[in-house]
Amino acid sequence: MTKLLISLILASGLFATQTMAYDFGKVLEDAAKKKIEDVKNGGETPATATVPDKATSPAPESGTSSATTSAATAAPPPAQPEFNWKNPSKEEEIALGREITGSLLGAAPLVKDEALQKYVNQVGRWVANQSERADLPWKFGVIESTDINAFAAPGGYVLITKGLYQKLHSEAQLAGVLGHEIAHVVKKHQLKVLQKQQLLGYGAGKLSGLFGKNDKLAKKALGTGAEISARGLDKDAEFEADRMGMVLATRAGYDAYGLADVLQTIGQTNKSDSSVALLFKTHPAPDERLARLGDSVGGSLDNIKAGKTLENRLYKLN
Amino acid sequence: MKDYLKLLILVGLATPILVFADAGTALKTDTVRAEPFADAKTVGNINKNDSVDILNKKGAWLQIKTKKTSGWVRLLSVKRGAATVSNNAKGVIDVASGRAGTGQVVSTTGIRGLSAEDLKAAKFNEDEMKKMESHTLSASDGQSFASAGGLNTVKLAYLKGAK
Ligand SMILES: [Zn+2]
Repeated sequence: MTKLLISLILASGLFATQTMAYDFGKVLEDAAKKKIEDVKNGGETPATATVPDKATSPAPESGTSSATTSAATAAPPPAQPEFNWKNPSKEEEIALGREITGSLLGAAPLVKDEALQKYVNQVGRWVANQSERADLPWKFGVIESTDINAFAAPGGYVLITKGLYQKLHSEAQLAGVLGHEIAHVVKKHQLKVLQKQQLLGYGAGKLSGLFGKNDKLAKKALGTGAEISARGLDKDAEFEADRMGMVLATRAGYDAYGLADVLQTIGQTNKSDSSVALLFKTHPAPDERLARLGDSVGGSLDNIKAGKTLENRLYKLN
Repeated sequence: MKDYLKLLILVGLATPILVFADAGTALKTDTVRAEPFADAKTVGNINKNDSVDILNKKGAWLQIKTKKTSGWVRLLSVKRGAATVSNNAKGVIDVASGRAGTGQVVSTTGIRGLSAEDLKAAKFNEDEMKKMESHTLSASDGQSFASAGGLNTVKLAYLKGAK
């Protein structure tokens, strides 16, 4: 019922905002179209989704009566501030990312090494400065896990596992890895997936009241927040993050091939080693990523002055 | 083998160059050139999945040798390692790292995985979050750190996706 309600609000809102040149327009449109299709296929009142007056006719199915309610309540603004899934503010984006990241930290805490945490924040912050979202309060952390992986969450949260950190040989390589994650945030890759889910009605209701009167996040919103990190993005989002990550690190003055080095290393890890299980589940194969990166780079870096690798400044773990 | 030795000695003398004598695999078809420059003479080419010996690295170029040719190719056209990796070691690795087939940690030897199941079961940790937040740096902190390392920004547009 809640699902239908959301889809109806979405469907009616969609036509009013069609001219809006907004980044999420396509996602929303796809989501709405799919939902409308679902409703059609389910034999429920399809075209009436945007026609409130149909609601006056008697409804044998409960789904239709909820449509009545939603159509009626869609007009006045809700009493309680709700999470604006269609067009989240920067603050909402950060709050969402905090929830996801806090949950990831519940699965694997930060490595207890203040100097290490400071160091990754320095490198990460500098790379993030090169992006179009330098205004975000970027936060980086190394987490206590032998897995080889890294995570990004909306609003500027980036985590890298100790297992991956220990594979690094230079600051440029760290910059490349962080650059990939920063790119996910800049392009709102995870946020778009969450928006689509919410607008399609998956887990709808869980997030209603996410922001209370005091703008405080309800705990346990999003199911368990880290769950999103266990699901992959689409391949194109990953290739895009590779291209952007490489460029961000290069702009920051690092050797352009740091990320590629790390992909080489990961590519040499035995595919059946459980330390790369989640990474390989959520990302295209390293070979494919390298090849795609090579196709995109071509000769475009030929005239770029060689950047720094800074092997010696890479913070050494005990 | 003798050439290989000579190369190691040669390379060893030139300090900033990395030593390579790795097996590699071509990731795609690419031109092999006489020197590590885009406009250097073409001496041959590599095709996807060709086995190559990686002899040297210079900037964004790798010096390689195949059955048919030798010369320089772009760094991103070759992956290190042989084409096929054996999976024979799977069981051994899983046992050695204290993991069961599920990817879950089954012993307490300090190994700590982060599987999809772990993430699904994860609970928000406010203390760790606060710790992470306490390390937040400003844009100018980043700038100071870059200056200390002699990092200078470079103008470079984002790359377009291939195909
Ligand atoms: Zn990614």
